[in-house]
Amino acid sequence: MNRSTTTRLGVLAFGLVLAGAAAAQTPAPAPAPAPAPAWQQGRSGDQATSTLHPFAPILTGRAASELPLDKLKVPSGFKVEVWAEGIPEARSLTLGDKGTVFVSNRNLKDVYAITEQGGKRSVTKVLRGLNSPNGVAFANGTLFVAERHRITAYDGIEDKLASPPEPRVVIDNLDPTSQPGHFWKFLAMGPDGKLYFNVGAPGNIVMPSYAQATINRVDPKTGVMEIYASGVRNSVGFDWDPRTKDLWFTNHARDWVNDDLPHDTLHRAAKKGMNFGYPFCHQGDFLDPEYGKGRSCSEFEAPAAKLGAHIAPNGMRFYTGSMFPAEYRNNIFIAMHGSWNRSTKQGYSVMRAVVDSAGKVELSPFLEGFLSDAKADPPMWGRPNDLLVMKDGALLVADDYNGIVYRVSYAR
Amino acid sequence: MRRGVAAALVASAGALGCTGAAAQVTDAQRQKAAPCAACHGAEGRAPLADTPSLAAQPKQFITTQLVMFREGNRKSEVMNALAAPLSNADINELGGYFAAQASPLPDGPPLPADAAAAGRALADRLLCSQCHGAELKGQQHIPRLAGQRADYLRNQLLGFKAQTRFDMDGNMTAAAQALTPADIEILATYLGSLH
Repeated sequence: MNRSTTTRLGVLAFGLVLAGAAAAQTPAPAPAPAPAPAWQQGRSGDQATSTLHPFAPILTGRAASELPLDKLKVPSGFKVEVWAEGIPEARSLTLGDKGTVFVSNRNLKDVYAITEQGGKRSVTKVLRGLNSPNGVAFANGTLFVAERHRITAYDGIEDKLASPPEPRVVIDNLDPTSQPGHFWKFLAMGPDGKLYFNVGAPGNIVMPSYAQATINRVDPKTGVMEIYASGVRNSVGFDWDPRTKDLWFTNHARDWVNDDLPHDTLHRAAKKGMNFGYPFCHQGDFLDPEYGKGRSCSEFEAPAAKLGAHIAPNGMRFYTGSMFPAEYRNNIFIAMHGSWNRSTKQGYSVMRAVVDSAGKVELSPFLEGFLSDAKADPPMWGRPNDLLVMKDGALLVADDYNGIVYRVSYAR
Repeated sequence: MRRGVAAALVASAGALGCTGAAAQVTDAQRQKAAPCAACHGAEGRAPLADTPSLAAQPKQFITTQLVMFREGNRKSEVMNALAAPLSNADINELGGYFAAQASPLPDGPPLPADAAAAGRALADRLLCSQCHGAELKGQQHIPRLAGQRADYLRNQLLGFKAQTRFDMDGNMTAAAQALTPADIEILATYLGSLH
């Protein structure tokens, strides 16, 4: 839109300058043909008639009363309830020092705050007019927001939710090419005081530039950025092991190979500079049919776990609370947002990952019931996208399809 | 297979108690929709040139477009102004209202057999039903094409081809690139003639 407006204005100015000067004017150049959308990129010829497609969120949100909440299932002793509604496309969650839960979105332009006062919970839109503000992180009184092209800081925002401060830019020019595909950014504050965010691959299966398909970190004090991990197709969920301070992250593998390959993955990046394989190797042991020629998966870091093909692991959090039974401590919860690129759908759940001392990961379902019919279109009535461990130990789950935040609690 | 998908969609919508085509229209909804009627028709069948019929469009398509007009992503002086004050609840209500209206009648006289055949062949070749549904009646956030005003369809397709029409996911912009002006004419007339 902006580009076309600019082009039209440019053509107009060009015409004015030349008016009356020359009889033969160059006709306005036609725009270059638009490529296939990023989600279709990499389809084989016989996949061109596939009816598989990503699902769009309901951008106005749906009332909890419209939803089949009785279908939701948690392990014995746990309880799931609607904690907040009316937050369209509730996408990523972060917790303020004073208890405010901030919620972002991706196709919209806002950040919401959920506050509690005198036992009453309220939802307020606090930031507007942002550019795909998918990432939110909070530290030392400051809310950080990752938009498509920049990261900004809102100092002391919890004390002035009614009139938030002007944004302070931490880093800008994060999307100099207006890249198609995976331009939205997850954001988290690392134990080193630096902000971590992804720059996804600019398509399904393409050769990224050196700055793409990465996890990066930026020092909010200096605005200096560095690539932390590469070969990461798109990670929109990460957290740090509270014991070792190692970074763990989820990753979406490529689409359009087949229903069962490759798996989406869970990774551990114990140090800076690791390469996780994209676009050459997926899931640690599957060479890409195109880019994998002449390469070996042994060049790259293997994942900690394969999570399922197309299952779309998004938010992940270590469980650091004390409400759940002791065996849950330091487990990883993962929100499975998919799948769409699979004829029989799976996922649409929150999984629990237990990592043993040898690094072996065991997965089990934790919150299920959003998947209503694995063969239907759409197959689900809700989509877990991000998670947040609250101070009381309850687990919040953001559902961006409906604009709802659920709370999972445990009663002793 | 495609019919199967559509049937499953209807079944799952029913199971969830979503407001679909069979939903009751309330007086409050009718009142809220009154400002829309001047251009889009009282029952969502647009009497005005280059104005879309909204009747029987999928609810999620209407609500998505109203959000995009409200947020300024999709540009239209009239619609940007009208959508600006709408709450999400208002938009959900309007979406439900128009989705529940009887589908629009075919736009214009019946097509000669050869024009219909040419349109069908082109729509098949372009895989329109892949997203717009087996009978091109729309699904989820994707619009119904059957019975839409041909002049409106023509202008949207020209806009997609010129890359000036707002496109949330780039699908239609990409799909329209190969179309010639003659293709667009054939398609728009054919789609408008469907019921």
